Parts: sequence; C-alpha cells; structure tokens
Amino acid sequence: MSVASAVAEQVLNGLVVGMVYVLLAAGLSIIFGVMDVINFAHGELFALGAYFAFAIAGPLGGAGFWVALVVAPLLVGVVGMGIERLTVKRLYGRDPLYHILLTFGLVLIINDLITSVWGKSAQPFPVPSVLDQPVALFGFNYSLYNYGIIVFGSALALGTWLLLNRTRFGMIIRAGSEDREMVRTLGINIDRYYTLTFGFGAALAGVAGIVLGAYQNVSPTMGSSVIIPAFVIVVLGGLGSFRGAVVGGLFVGLVQTFARTYTPFLEGLIVFLLMIAVLVVKPTGLFGTSVGAGDHHDGALLHGSGGGVLSAETRAKLGYAGVGALLIVPLLAEVTGVTYSVTLLEDILIWALFALSLDLVLGYAGLVSLGHTLFYGVGAYASVLTLMHVSPSVFVALVVAVAVCAAIAWGVGYLSIRVSGVFFAMITLGFAELFYNAVFKFDFTGGSDGLFGVDAFYGLAGLGIDPGEFTVPLGPFVLDGGVVQYYFLLAVVVGSYLLARRLIRAPFGSVLQSIRESEERASFIGYDVTAYKRRAFVVSGGLAGLAGGLFAANNGYVAPSFLHWINSGEVIVMTVLGGMGTLYGPMLGAGVFVAAEDVLSSYIDQWQLVIGVLFVLFVIFVPRGLVSLPQTVADHPIFESAVGDRVGEQAGVTDPEVDRHE
Amino acid sequence: MRDDCSADSGAQPRPSRRRFVQAAGLAGVTGLTGVAGCLGGGGGGGSNAITYGVISPMTGPYGGLAVGQRNGAELAIRHVNENADIDVEITGVYEDTEADPSTGRRKAQSVVEQDGASYLMGAISSSVALALNEFAAEEEIIYNPGGAAVPITGSNCNEWVFRAETNTAQMAEAVSDYTAENLGTKVWFHIADYAYGESVMQRVERRMRDGHDIEVVGRSRSQLGSTNYNSYVSQIANSDAEVAVLGMTGGDLINFVKQAASQGLKESVNLMSPTMTFSVVRGALGEAAYGTYGGVRYLPTLETGDNQSFVEAYRSEYDSLPDNFARAAYMSIRMTARGIAEAGSTDPAEVKEVLPGLEMDTILGPNQFRDCDHQAMNPVWPGELVAPDGGSGPATVELGEMIAGADALPDCGELGCSL
Repeated sequence: MSVASAVAEQVLNGLVVGMVYVLLAAGLSIIFGVMDVINFAHGELFALGAYFAFAIAGPLGGAGFWVALVVAPLLVGVVGMGIERLTVKRLYGRDPLYHILLTFGLVLIINDLITSVWGKSAQPFPVPSVLDQPVALFGFNYSLYNYGIIVFGSALALGTWLLLNRTRFGMIIRAGSEDREMVRTLGINIDRYYTLTFGFGAALAGVAGIVLGAYQNVSPTMGSSVIIPAFVIVVLGGLGSFRGAVVGGLFVGLVQTFARTYTPFLEGLIVFLLMIAVLVVKPTGLFGTSVGAGDHHDGALLHGSGGGVLSAETRAKLGYAGVGALLIVPLLAEVTGVTYSVTLLEDILIWALFALSLDLVLGYAGLVSLGHTLFYGVGAYASVLTLMHVSPSVFVALVVAVAVCAAIAWGVGYLSIRVSGVFFAMITLGFAELFYNAVFKFDFTGGSDGLFGVDAFYGLAGLGIDPGEFTVPLGPFVLDGGVVQYYFLLAVVVGSYLLARRLIRAPFGSVLQSIRESEERASFIGYDVTAYKRRAFVVSGGLAGLAGGLFAANNGYVAPSFLHWINSGEVIVMTVLGGMGTLYGPMLGAGVFVAAEDVLSSYIDQWQLVIGVLFVLFVIFVPRGLVSLPQTVADHPIFESAVGDRVGEQAGVTDPEVDRHE
Repeated sequence: MRDDCSADSGAQPRPSRRRFVQAAGLAGVTGLTGVAGCLGGGGGGGSNAITYGVISPMTGPYGGLAVGQRNGAELAIRHVNENADIDVEITGVYEDTEADPSTGRRKAQSVVEQDGASYLMGAISSSVALALNEFAAEEEIIYNPGGAAVPITGSNCNEWVFRAETNTAQMAEAVSDYTAENLGTKVWFHIADYAYGESVMQRVERRMRDGHDIEVVGRSRSQLGSTNYNSYVSQIANSDAEVAVLGMTGGDLINFVKQAASQGLKESVNLMSPTMTFSVVRGALGEAAYGTYGGVRYLPTLETGDNQSFVEAYRSEYDSLPDNFARAAYMSIRMTARGIAEAGSTDPAEVKEVLPGLEMDTILGPNQFRDCDHQAMNPVWPGELVAPDGGSGPATVELGEMIAGADALPDCGELGCSL
C-alpha cells in the first residue's frame, strides 16, 4: 500500500469520526443556540434513540433498521418535548447553571429507566446487511457503512442547515434566539416553538444514537461516553453556532485520527488541548459571535437566604451546636455501636470542605467551574506522592497539596477567567479532563490503578502521632488512632470554614460580592475584576486541593476516579442543594447529598432514579437551596395566613448578607 | 438490597479494627452493641454464623457483569447454607460500589461496621479491588476479589486476600502458545491504555517469545472508553500483521471488533483477545465475533467438576446461564466456606491459616488457593468463536486443549508475591 493511499484512508477515517461528532453535536448546538440550555441529558437521549431502535429493529428483522431510523427519532423527539414542557420550560431565564443541574438529574432518571427496561449489558444492534461489507475503493478496503455515515451525516447536516436558514420555522427560531420578547410581541407563540426545537434537538440525538449504535454497540454507558466529546465540539465550534458544530466536529475528527497515527502519546489529550487552545485564542470558539451567555438572558445565580427567618444569632448558635455535635459523635458511635456513622461523617466532612471551596468561586465570584475536581484530584495525588517520596508527615503532604493546587489554579485562572459564563465552565472542564486522562499515562501516578498503601504520620520530624500506634486510656474508654484522624479532619474543615468566612467578610469578600452583583459597576469603581476573580479561584483551588489531600492521606490511596468529571458535577449539586453564597449552606448540602446517596443506594436498586427526581424537583422548586427552606415555607401563602403576624416581625431582622434579586 | 436483619442472622456487628474510641471495660459495652445490631435476630445464630459482604459495581460501566457477580454470590450462600457437610450459616449483605474506589471502600466499611461482615467478596475493576485489598488487611477480614488484574494477588497481595477469579497471567498462558502456533507469528498488539491492557501485552508477549519465533510488527494504545477505532484498524490492516492481540475488555473490545469486522479486517488478520469469549462480548457482537479467538476462563458448557449442577441451579433460579462473573463469585464463597469448615472456626484469622493450599472440589474441578499467593489454580482454555448451530445469534466457543491449573499459573515470584 502506498503512503498516499494510507493517508487517504486516514483522512477517510477522520471524516467518519468527524461525522460522528457532527451527529452528536448538532442537536446539542441547536438547543443551546436557541434556548441557552446546556443539555447534559443529550447523551442519554442519544442512548434512548439507540435503545428504541434496538427494540423496534429486533422483531422486524431485515428492514427493521430502516423503520427504526424513522420511528425511533420521532419517539425521542416526543420524549424531548415532554421534558421541555415538564421541566426545562420552568427554568428559562435562569442562569445556565440551573440547566446543568436539571439535566444532570435527567441523566440519572433516563439512564436508570433504560437499565431497568433493557438491562445493564450491551445489546447487539447489527449494521443492516446491505451496508455490512467492505468495499474496495481508491485502492483499499473500507467499510460501506462508514461511507454511509459520511453521506448520511452530510445530508443531515445540510438538511438541518436548510431548515434553520431557509424555512419560516427556522426564521422564527433564529429570531427567538435573538430576542424572545420581540418575537412574542409580534404575536408568535414562541413557547410552542421552543418545545418543538427541544424536540428537534432530541430527535437529532436519537438519530445519532441509531447510526452510532450500529457502528459501536448499544449499552447503558453509551450516553455518558459521548457527552463530554459532544460538549467539546460545540464549545470549540462556537456555542450556538450550527456551522461551528459541523466544522468543529470534522476538524476534531481529522486531528484526532492523525494524532493517533503520528503522535500516539497525545491520545486522549489532543481533543482537550485543542479546545483549550481555541478558547484561549478565540474565547467565543471558531464561529461563535458573543462572549458569555449572559447577553441572552437576565437570569442570575440564586443565592441562599438563610437569614430570612433565623436571625444571625440563631444561626451562630446552630453552628456552635453543629460543631459540638460533631465533636461527640465518635463517643456516641462507640456507645451505640453505630461506628459506621463516623466513617460516613469523615466522607461528609471532606465533601463539605470541597463544596465550601467551590462556593467561594461559584457563590461569591459567580464563576461556574465545571472542572473543580481537577483540584480535588491533584491535591490527592500530590498528597499521596509526597507521603510516598518526600515525608511521611501529613502536614507536609497537605502543604504540598495546597501549594500545588493553588499554583495550578493560578495557571488555569490566568488562561480562563477572561472568558465568562458557559465558556469558563467548559474550559475548566477541559483542564480537568486533561489531567484525568494524563494520570493514566504515567507510571509515577500508578496509571489506571492509582497508588495504594500509604501511611500517614500526624507530626513533623518524628515528633507527633502515628495513628497506627496511638492509644490513650481515658476513664472507661481508650482513644486510638482513628480519633486523631477524625479530630484532625474536623479541625481542618472547621478552620477552613472560619478562614473562608473571614475572607468573605474582609474587603476582599466585599469586592467579590460586588463583582457578582454587577461586574461592570465594580470595574467602573476601579477594581481589577479579573485579578479579584483569579485570587478567589486560587484560594478555592487550594481549599479543594486540601480536601483531596486530606481524603487521600486519611485513606492511604488515590485513583484516577478522583479526577472524574462526575465529582465536579456532584460538588456543584451539593453547593446549590445547600444554598450557594452562604459558605455553610454548601457544607450542609454535602452532608445531605452524601448521606442520602449512601442510604438510598443501600436500600433501593433504583436509587439513581430517586436521586434524579429529587434533583429535578429541587432545582425547580427550591433553587436557593436548603438554607432557604425556612424562608420558602414562611413565604408560602398557607403558612403566611396561619402565622402571618409573627413571621412579618421576624422578617424585619434581615441579614446584610442576604441578597435577593428576582 | 440488603437484608441485614433477617431472622437467621446470628452475626454480631463486628467492631471495626479502625476504631475511634474503644471501650476499655468490655462488660459495659456488650449489652449496648445489640442496640445497633438486629434486635430479635440470632434465631439460627450460633458460633457458626457469619455475614458475607458482597459489593459489586451495580451502577456504572461494569453493571452488566455485576449482576452475574451478585447472583453467583447469592446462589453460593444458599448452597452453602443448605449443605449439611459445611457447618456454616452465611447471611449475605449486598452493596453497590458504583465502580468507584472511594464508594467501594466506604461500602466495605459499612458492611463490616453496620452488618458485622467478616468476609467480603466483590469488585471487578482493579482499582476498586486494590482499594479493598488494603481494606481487608487493615480490618483483618477475608476478601475474595472479582477482578482479574495480576497485582491483586501479585505485587499488592496480602494474606487476607483469596482469589477464585482467573487472573490475567493465567489467561496469557491460555492463549499465548495457541496464538503463536495457530494464528500467526507476526503480531500486532492493540491495547486499551490502562493497567489491564498493559498487563495483557506484557504477559502475552513474554509467553509468546518463550519458545516461539515471533515478530511484533506494531503496537497501538487507545484511550480507555474510546468509541472509534477505525484509525487503528487501518494501521493494522496496512501492516504485515497476521494476528492482532487485543488487550481490552467490555465496551472497548466490542466496539473495536465490530468496527474491525465492518472494515473487513477479519479477512486478513486473526483477532485474538483473552476476554473475547465473555458472554457479554459475544452477546453484543453477534455475527461480528464469528471467526475470532479468545481465552476461556469459564463457559456454562464446561464439564469440569460439578459445573453442570451449578449451571442447572443457576438457570432455574435466574432463568439465564451463568457467566464468568457468576462463576467466580460462586466459587469464591464456596471455596472460602470450605476453609471455614476445615478450620472449625468462623474467625477469619484462623480460616486464613488453613485455606491456603487446601485441596477441594470446585465447579472447575479439583482446585485450591495456592499457598504462596492465594490465587486459585483454575484451568484455562484457548477457544475459537464460531457461528452457532442456528446460524445466527451469539457465537459459540469451540474449546481448544485444556491447560491444567498448575501449568497455567506462573510462579509466585514471577507475579511479585510471596506469602
């Protein structure tokens, strides 16, 4: 085979991969472009398309594939419209963060439904026999189905482009994405078009699922395996630009394919490097026009408002009571025999610290970091590597973890804080995925297994406590090493909270909050907005690194899963669940989330479904988080009419931190 | 689902080794521990009652395999309890690791501290299994890993871990000679870029070079979880390779073979993977798997030991055939239970003394956890995947010559463990 035809074959491979990406990204791009909705559930709609097709094609035999190719996307479209009507619709105008959370919940729901209907194993979904053969063209054998993907993908992309640019439907949709109110004023029922658009985007995901289901396989994890690449394509091409999705998809497909042949080391990294490079050079992506989704909507992040009902004094007392309770838990656990509660509590404290770190940037600086697990994971790796190679002291390990993470946060912040909104979320996600994929490649990080069997010493230079040896008799009880770990963890977490609170109450915090309220005005007054945000990001990264480092030191191991994007998603959920912008709210949210997942997953097989439904309800009805529950209840008409007078009095005791912008 | 308060549970919640505050006066506490345990439990309880924690990746990428693992464990516990020769009453507690080491370890802690488990079985991915290895040693409980990575009973082995699953080194023995002798000596290694893939490449290559004149014409690595393999398929097709050894499993292997078949690679290059015969792989590939080759850890059709009665019992209970993961879980618990019977004690510390090297009959024939690394000496087979009698559907496996347990398992020293 000549070099030329080998290159031609790889070009063809690149086009196939690229078309696959185009198919994946098209629906996502349209939904974002029109509605500003970041649809994490896109991957699951994609999987749903494949499963519907599998269910339809199986019984029909030979022609089944073609019937499924028409019917299954329609079904997915209907599901999509249902989702829009029931859930997404209620969140228009809110910050895209809430769409991320909502669709994150939908992912859990749809995925659990898929596995309960079709099981957890991969299912066979063969390529139709007409296309299932290699053909010799241009001097080499190539799969006919692959040629089919290129043709089909091109036709679909062209058709969608024509629909958007050459029809009345497309015109209204494009107008709606520019100015929703204006379209409505012209007497067009734009809501109906939004529903249709969401359904159309979902149907495109379904089509992709079928075409790729036959090319790959049909399994419950197919959705989660494509969602990140799909996002990368959309962001790289320019959010909301359909042309960008097409060009971006083909571009990434070709680059990735050639990198596999000529620079194999970059496999798994190249896509994210490309995305970061493009966003750094051109923050709007290749074909994007506006920076920041903020131009399209007036939605803001909704902060917790715990002070509405409870006075600051009451909350302080509750805080002391909470810490007091945490102090005596190990003792109670031993007396009652429920020692597992301490284990669970240790995990909760770690996540509470992680959520606290995110709240500093999310709740106070308004930066939606979708890659915060980068710092958690790197902190854990730094801590374990230090314990292994430098010093057995936990203190040294944690200092290293914080320092390394703060430095990385500075670097990431330097490159990404000038882009805002969704772009910032995506660029941080890109960095986190870069590190996640990188730890697989090195021996010193333990590859895919991670690093195990590290012992930590709670002291410096030989002076201190070895938890393995430690015992102190105390009346009827004996304290041992576990106690040291627990109280050290508690002290660090409480100390970090106090530090964060001090920082927020200092002038630095006031500036951050003013930036969050109005970035423009803050910069008019003369503050260097970017610098302040970056400093907050550095502090936040350091604290997240501390959380990861503590977990790794306490448990003696680290694995690549510490860097998986699902952690970033979960910590955002915790922060919003508790009530962002309050510091203690996210910590509370972490407690509720970890405990709920632990209990539910033990007793209910369909626990993901339950958690997903809870998310969706929460995002829709209690967006300000748990800490706002007293206020929400107090504001409820039924409650108000019952005890109206008393609440009216108390509402007068407002806290200066409380901010409400409806 | 857990049934930690079933009436026949006699196991006391066992205080964790990693404790926080220990009661100095035992008498003051014994009355209280019952509060946390199952009030009114202990119906059939006695000194022979134990709790087995079974923690499997029910959610996540290994969900399809975890179902088999859980079923196999359930069936083993039932059979052990019914078996009059083995005087042990086992209560099973089942949890989900979510294929995440942190969650897996917390769940392990939960079954030990909440449910009083002193025996643990489960995990599939090596990262979770390695985390549980450490955990078992800390807690001094017996653990049967469901993962196949060599380090679990190799460089990371410890005296509390007993593995009934066949490891990657044994599988390399199964396929290496067969590949070199029948499939070709010009070899391309394609692996998923993680510990399992690397270990397949190392072990198979070393074994193939041992006594055969082979030439490695190329190597490639794809990211774990990749969905597109065209580029690699083209590279292999354009080389002189006669056989491609694939160090990948699950979705990666399925996607690779499907795309390779569609591109016509099977016509010019033999495809061989140690896990090609897995029922999930054959089930998802259908026709695309015909004409490929793999190693065999287990098949329901095997006539070894009392396999056929296991298959029958499994089928009548779950209405499907057991896969390798059901087999491994079943063997793990049954073999460990025989150790408990032999020791005459349910204390893991005593059981771990008698279990190594203990000869017993299993569904894979006479077997034992080898003395020096606690790896079960399972026999292995090479196999060819062929069209089933009906002409369509999942491939059936034509077994090659069996390689006995003692021949398939490399020396402990070579695998990095000496207990």
